[in-house]
This record gives sequence, structure tokens and C-alpha cells, in this order.
Amino acid sequence: MGPLTVYEIISANTNLVFAFIIGIGFGFVLENSGFSSSRKLAGMFYGYDTTVLKVFFTAAITAMVGTLIFALFGWLDLSVIYINPTYLWSAILGGAVMGAGFILGGFCPGTAFCALSIGKLDALAFIGGLFIGVFLFAEAYPVFEGIYKAEFMGAPFVYDALGMSRGVFAALLIIAAFGMFWLGEWSERKFPRDEY
Amino acid sequence: MNMRLKLAAVFIPLGLFIAAVPETKTKAVKSSPDKILTEVRSNSHLITTDVVADMLVQKDPSLVLIDVRSADEFDAYHIPGSINIPIDNILADEWAGYFDQSAKMNVLYSNGNSKATEAWMLLRQKGYKSNYVMQGGMNYWAETIMNPEKPASTSPDDEIARYNFRKAAGGVLGGGAIAPAETQAAAPAPAAVPSRPKKKRAAGGC
Repeated sequence: MGPLTVYEIISANTNLVFAFIIGIGFGFVLENSGFSSSRKLAGMFYGYDTTVLKVFFTAAITAMVGTLIFALFGWLDLSVIYINPTYLWSAILGGAVMGAGFILGGFCPGTAFCALSIGKLDALAFIGGLFIGVFLFAEAYPVFEGIYKAEFMGAPFVYDALGMSRGVFAALLIIAAFGMFWLGEWSERKFPRDEY
Repeated sequence: MNMRLKLAAVFIPLGLFIAAVPETKTKAVKSSPDKILTEVRSNSHLITTDVVADMLVQKDPSLVLIDVRSADEFDAYHIPGSINIPIDNILADEWAGYFDQSAKMNVLYSNGNSKATEAWMLLRQKGYKSNYVMQGGMNYWAETIMNPEKPASTSPDDEIARYNFRKAAGGVLGGGAIAPAETQAAAPAPAAVPSRPKKKRAAGGC
């Protein structure tokens, strides 16, 4: 857990216990929202169920508003927050592969384990495929290494690239997110499916 | 429908608020006064003139000597190899390259201790750590390195070794009779090199 382990307030083992408890909470929430059903997850791409969109964007804008308001009050120093480095080609390629896998399989890795824990066999098949993919990538790594590390861009920000300030971009993103929520509702009415 | 409207009513005003308030550009202060006080009391920011002389003689590349006195005093006399950053300018952007790094050791000196320590305090509060103060400043430098006091021949060996080192270093670094400048406190007069008849050292020991 963030600053607690770095400053040795809790030991690494206590950190694992916290991770276990948080994992239980995460799995509970996923299952409660119905994300163990592969048809509900794949519905995002066919239009009849946009729960995934709403959950992800609500989480994103909550986190964004939280960090920005904390930074405004000086409770959070944004310059020390770790940002995943951007490797452009591998991000695009990996995203495309992940999207194809999501539509085909109806799961992403986290929800697959959540579904497996309630005994779904399609989740078991998905996880089998997951391990095969990981094994293939590791064995064939020399082939992928070039594109894996290509076009390292550091940690660029969208608002810098667009030339606007951080706050303005945040407000625009919130408005875009709510626009998408209404779009999702329209899509659910347009592409209904009785049973899934 | 209801839930979406409620969420929108919360988030969109928050978003507009974030867009309207300008972001703070200043970095948070990196060191607390307590930490700085501990460092000052433990004298870990001080470097003796002997260490500086040694580093200069060895041409140690990690040393950067910075004279924080005014430009006139710098022109009158400065330690060879030092650069002049007057304390009034010390927070300017053009000098940030010297201070905002941790590879080289910056040794600040002034005539005595006070200006150099002020400069050190300012830089420490900005979070820069690789800065030190030459203990005693130019006055002590003149006393010890430029005009070292010859110890009595009955002094312990390490004192005599130190005197020899200082004399050699002083010679290399342009020593001789250099009078120290006036500081706010009364500066002690430079010790005149005493002329003593050479006593025969008691032979013996190990």
C-alpha cells in the first residue's frame, strides 16, 4: 500500500494481507455488478449492455476529480505519482489484441478469475487460453522485443499535447463521460436483447 | 435515469470548478525546518579548509567552489578555481544548474561563516542537498592554508604533518602573505610565521 510500505510503517507481509482483503472486496463488487457473466461483458461491443462503460468511466472520473482536488488543496504532490511509461506501438498492438480477445472470449483477465471463482466453465477456458498466451509471449520474446520497447515517449499528458490546461481537460472529460452514459442508454434501447 | 442525473449534478459542477481554479505551479517545500535544524546542529554541512585544499590539490572533479561574496570582493581575491555567485542572486534560474543536482559537491564560502551559511540555508530549503559550507570561510583559509602557523617542534606528529600539508597546498594554490578581508565580527589578525631557531629534534622513539 503506497506510502505505508515505502516508509516501512507496515511490513511487506502485512502489505500482502491488505492486498488479500482488498482483493476480496474487489471480487465481491465485480460479482455483485454482474461482471461474472461473459454475455454481459461482451454486450458492451454489441450494444445491448453498456454497464462496463459506465463502471469504467465512473471510476476514471472519480479518481481524476479526487486527485485534482487533492492537488489543488496541496494534499497530494502530483509530481511524485508514478505514471506508466508510454511505449506507443506496443500499447496500440496490445490494445488491439486485448480488444479482439475480449469480444471473442467475453472476459478480461480480472473478471475471468472472478467468474471462475463461482464455477463458470467458460471462464476456465478463458484462463487456459490466457496461460497459453503468456507462455507463447515469454518463449517468443526475442521476436517481440523490438516492438515491445519501440517508441518510448516517457509519460506525455493529453492536455499538454492538446495545449490546454489540466483543469479544462478534466471538465471536458467529465462532460464527455456523461455524454457517453446517455449514448449508452440510447444504445441499450436500440439494440435490445431479451435474455443474456 | 435518476442515478445518471444525480451523478451528473455532482460531477459536472466539480469539473467546472477544477477547470476554473488555476493549478499551483510551485512545488511543495521539500524540507521541513526540523530536519534542517538537525542538520545544522550536527554540523554535517561543514567542510574544513584542509579538505577543500586537499581536493583542490588533487584536482578532484566533483568539487565546485562557489564564492557567495559580492563581485568586487571576488575580484580582489578568490580561491583559484572558484566561481562567483553573489548571495543576492543565488536563487536565480541561471544558477539552478549548479544547485539542482546531486553529482557534484558545491562548497560555498564567504569571508567568515555567516553569508555562506545563509546561502546554504536558502538552498537547503529549496531541497538541494549537495551543498556544503567551508568552515571559517576566507579568513580561516588565509590563516591555515595561506599562512599556516608553524607548530612548535615539540608538537605531536600529526600537527607537524598538517602544517607541512598546509604549507605545500598553500604554495600550490597561490599562498604567501594574503591578508583576510574584514567581516562583521572582528576578524583575528593573521598569525605571523614565527621564526624560531631550529631546535634539534630529540631523536628516539620507535
